[in-house]
Amino acid sequence: MNWNLNTEHYYVRFAHEEDIQNIYALLGANDVVKNHPKNPMVVEAQAMDEARRMVMQFEAKEAAFWLVEEKATGKVIARISLQQFNWVNASAQLRIDVFSDFKTQSALSEMMYAVATLAYEDLSLHRLEWFLLLEDKCFIDIAKAFGFNHDGQLMSFLEFEGSWIDYQVFSLLKTDDVWQQAIKAQGLPQS
Amino acid sequence: MKFVANVDFNGGQLRPLDQSDVDTIVKLYQKQTLAGQSTTASTEHAERMITLSVQMAATQRGLMWAIEVDGQMLGMLSLYDWQPTSLKTLMRLDVLPAITQQQQVDALSTGIDFLAKKYHLRNFSFHCLPTDDEAMISTIQQVGFIQQACLRDFRRTSQTEFSDILVFNKILESAPETQGEGESA
Repeated sequence: MNWNLNTEHYYVRFAHEEDIQNIYALLGANDVVKNHPKNPMVVEAQAMDEARRMVMQFEAKEAAFWLVEEKATGKVIARISLQQFNWVNASAQLRIDVFSDFKTQSALSEMMYAVATLAYEDLSLHRLEWFLLLEDKCFIDIAKAFGFNHDGQLMSFLEFEGSWIDYQVFSLLKTDDVWQQAIKAQGLPQS
Repeated sequence: MKFVANVDFNGGQLRPLDQSDVDTIVKLYQKQTLAGQSTTASTEHAERMITLSVQMAATQRGLMWAIEVDGQMLGMLSLYDWQPTSLKTLMRLDVLPAITQQQQVDALSTGIDFLAKKYHLRNFSFHCLPTDDEAMISTIQQVGFIQQACLRDFRRTSQTEFSDILVFNKILESAPETQGEGESA
């Protein structure tokens, strides 16, 4: 099974040793992490630790992480991951860290379609869920545009800097009409 | 060492499971109205559950109480996925027909009050199948649980079939500061 994916404009690939600086640049940017919510990285050692955890979680079959490299520039512009694999219930949580310049429906549709195809076809998952903050209107609009269903909210899911965080839950099922249409169109809606 | 406290409620008490509860646990799990209940429930499963109830409580991963009314075990109130750092837990209520809805409401309310005071839990949730016992859903709503989500096809029921899960939450605004009130042992 090939975990490294290739879209028209991007390599959606696993990280390697030279990616520590790319991970640090991405997860050290406040606009990338603020809606997870998370504090940005402040030293490169955090990126090394993160890279180690990405490998460990993959080897434990708990998660898979891809860096998204723009073909034209060679720049890593995002990290997309499937986390909390539940092999019994055939589900996983989608998570995307992306520079704000690329937080667009057109850019995300390519990487998302590649990863979702692998999730449904190669990993035999049935449900992808995406936890988003209510104030992350950009991702919420994109989730809706891709056909994700708003399942509701998980209240006080975690505590961050003294506040309780509610997550809005969006889901896309392998059997959803929008996904079946995406397969026929060989892509998610770009606009 | 005792890991599960006895807690009195109006008309009964919540108490740790013990070996004398095996037959009732089998009856509860043969009801087939809630997820996980099945005709295949056996004495061996019930005995394992009693052992697990101690292990879960000792490590604060969960907790199981027998609901006792007039000296008879008529149900179970359980905690799973207890996350002490996030002050939250998933709950489950299994009852026999002999217990009234008011007694269930009292048991659940008292259990939540105890958990809030003793362990500072503030976020309680139930995951219900849409086909779950309507009376149980009515009971948790009377205690203040509100449906917050319907997770589509969240639970696999067979190789090719899935079921939605209804998520009910009760959030306490702040964790009370006093500890152990209502504990009789």
